[in-house]
Amino acid sequence: MTPPSPRRRVAVTGLGLVTPVGNDVEGTWSALLAGRSGGRGISLFDASGFSVRIAAEVKDFRDDERIERRLLKHTMRAHRFALVAAEQALADAGIRPTEATAERWGCTVGAGMMTSEYPDLAELHAHSAPEGEVQAGRLLTDPSANDPMIFCRSNANAGLALLTRRHGIRGYATSVHTACASGGQAVGTGLKLIRRGVVDRVLAGGFDSMISPVGLAGFCLLSAVSADNDDPQHASRPFDATRNGFLLGEGAGFLVLEEWESARARGARIYAELAGDGNSLSSYRITDSPPDGDGPIQAMRAALADARATPADVDYLNAHGTSTGMNDRSESAATRAVFGDEVRRLLVSSTKSSMGHLIAAAGAVEAAVCALAIQRGEMPVNANYRVPDPDCDLNLVLGEARRQRVRMAMSNSFGFGGSNSCVVMRHPELVDGGPVASRS
Amino acid sequence: MALPRILITASGAVCAAGMDAEAILRAVLDGRSAIGPITQWDTTGWPVRIAGEVADLNPRALVEDRKLHKLIRRTDLFGLYAAGRAIEASGLPAWRETQEAAEAAITSDRTGVYAGSGGGNYQNQYDYLPLMTAAGGDLREFGRQLPDTVNPMWLLRTLPNNVLGHIGIRHGLKGPNACITNHSVGGTMAVIEAFEALRQGEADRAVAVGHDAPIEPQMVLYYRAVGLIASKALRPFDACHDGSLFGEGAGALMLETEVSAKARGAPVIGEVLGAGFASEGEGLLAIRGDGDGVARAVRAALADAGLIPADVGMVVAHGNGTPQSDASEAAALRCVFGNAMPPVTAFKWAFGHLIAAAGILDAVLALAALKQRVVPGIATLDQIAPNCAGLQVSATLRAPRSDVALVICRGFAGTNAALLLRAP
Repeated sequence: MTPPSPRRRVAVTGLGLVTPVGNDVEGTWSALLAGRSGGRGISLFDASGFSVRIAAEVKDFRDDERIERRLLKHTMRAHRFALVAAEQALADAGIRPTEATAERWGCTVGAGMMTSEYPDLAELHAHSAPEGEVQAGRLLTDPSANDPMIFCRSNANAGLALLTRRHGIRGYATSVHTACASGGQAVGTGLKLIRRGVVDRVLAGGFDSMISPVGLAGFCLLSAVSADNDDPQHASRPFDATRNGFLLGEGAGFLVLEEWESARARGARIYAELAGDGNSLSSYRITDSPPDGDGPIQAMRAALADARATPADVDYLNAHGTSTGMNDRSESAATRAVFGDEVRRLLVSSTKSSMGHLIAAAGAVEAAVCALAIQRGEMPVNANYRVPDPDCDLNLVLGEARRQRVRMAMSNSFGFGGSNSCVVMRHPELVDGGPVASRS
Repeated sequence: MALPRILITASGAVCAAGMDAEAILRAVLDGRSAIGPITQWDTTGWPVRIAGEVADLNPRALVEDRKLHKLIRRTDLFGLYAAGRAIEASGLPAWRETQEAAEAAITSDRTGVYAGSGGGNYQNQYDYLPLMTAAGGDLREFGRQLPDTVNPMWLLRTLPNNVLGHIGIRHGLKGPNACITNHSVGGTMAVIEAFEALRQGEADRAVAVGHDAPIEPQMVLYYRAVGLIASKALRPFDACHDGSLFGEGAGALMLETEVSAKARGAPVIGEVLGAGFASEGEGLLAIRGDGDGVARAVRAALADAGLIPADVGMVVAHGNGTPQSDASEAAALRCVFGNAMPPVTAFKWAFGHLIAAAGILDAVLALAALKQRVVPGIATLDQIAPNCAGLQVSATLRAPRSDVALVICRGFAGTNAALLLRAP
């Protein structure tokens, strides 16, 4: 039991996931436990000429029939993932904003890069830039440059607008983007809002899809993605000595966060306490944190301090673990520095080994993974690991998922631009001795 | 437990009307609008030909490091400039240099960066158009010719969080941070999140910056298509208000706990007294006619600051010049202030709507106006719109009734933010 605190606590009471390995929580969870990879050849467009032709796509996705058709007209692919994952999370929590509570609900989202989709760009190219340069005069009669629907879909906070409208959320509502740290920062912001008392409940999450010609191109140009085109299932191998880049994923993850006492009072199923958040800037390079882990170290320590916990309390780390050379090395160094001797005990896996890198959605999806690890006493496998890297000598969950009580779990997310996000979850029994959510 | 006081120790600003708060305020007080012809593309035959462009933009005057120019865009230049000015003017870097290495490292770790960013410009993707022409509509060719045709740094140049990342690298700041891509309220939310992080003890000081450069052809056409662009001038609360006009630039504030500011003898230009936020949840563009979101945000800010409406000395309204926004904002202010309406002004008529930078630039200017004990007039105001009746707006200069300013900011997705600021 932790000492009583005047500070408001935050419970995770609902989860929703749309990922490359499953279109709901159960599907995703069983794939992560088994280490099943979502990597395939790209099917969303003809990628045959690209240096990288593989990705982890969301498969057999169907819009939830509960979601209104007129809203779907205003969506891009990632927004549809978000609407479905948010719907799952609210249904799972068994509570929704009502007219009476709407102003006490917040919404925090990590949104992907804001830009129009490739077919819209292609239309603009054909009409206004056939020679490769936009001719401003032609834009005046360009249907795609004058289509309000394209504008509404591609706006920076379009996803937030869809979610707050659909669920009638009328409190604090924010959309953040710190590249691959976005989802983690959105969840952390949700925690702070409830602590601050400006809202009592938050729909928090992230969504992204960059598996498009322009999205993939950006990562290909930086050589950030694995080019193991002949073996997409093993392309993502975090902490393995032969790792050579990340596997681009897509999807969405949402969590329902509630003030602890009100969640208990209504008999909510509590997965975990969202106990701490830490974030920092590496201020080293735009694409990397330094080999010694400076930057991530401060975020992880801040999250532990915020949770009033020590390294000895943490049983599982869901690593950022992108499978790039620099990230995994820097993150390993940071983990050693933060955990000291406890690093030999701490179990670590990167679920990007199975589902790839969901970019702005990653942090939220992986926070949900931590909540599930605590609730179920299971830790997903770090798939595809074969060759040890002395720079990454962490106690990885290898071969098969580990079944063991998880007292606390930590999720790291580090982004281009240098933002580092770390969130920490705690087992509900350690908060008030009350029951953990039963498996439904 | 009482929350610590959060002081403002410096500001930075750039927009069409000037390169710092004083110059911009002078233009506003002179009744000079910096809105003029758009020069970034040939607008012959265009339905929208004016905006508040930063004229004769010289990237090196904004950001000295020439190497950095390859990695950033126009919007980032503004953000890095304004934030850099605020950081330097606060005296933080000079003070840090006097510290022992270990102490200086703590100072860096305890200094946050909060950015409000416009997110993406449509032009970012135009770098792919030559490749699309070369590929002749064949994606296989697009992929093959990609490495030879497009700048390898393309993705990094277009990151919405570039200002955040580069401020950190350039000034060695490593504390808590956020990049808020929440349309027009982004910059104001950067102030709110920085304010809250300091109150909660996450950091000792933080720079908040909002930046945007929305003046691009496709963006202008879209805003016009949804009916938000003015035909001739941006005329907040005027009977002839018929839309907004774009501006561009950035605003920045250095926030600091009272303890930290005193410890290093920092200059103090203001204080954040409270903040409030509310969304209406009606969709991307829809706003409620009764101003419900504005009213709730303002009331939340007053409650947060422990103030009553009569304490507010002036209101810097969002005043974007669209009839729906102006009327609902007026309704909200009538509702909150009743018969105790303070002088109300708005600044966008003078340099346009800076979208993600709009609210934080308004905050920077509110502090400058309070310092001079003036409420600038709205020069484009001729006759108040009937549905804005009751607002104490004026075309000419007045005096604030106290040293407290309320700054209102609104954005897409029915978002509304309010800040209460005091000048020393």
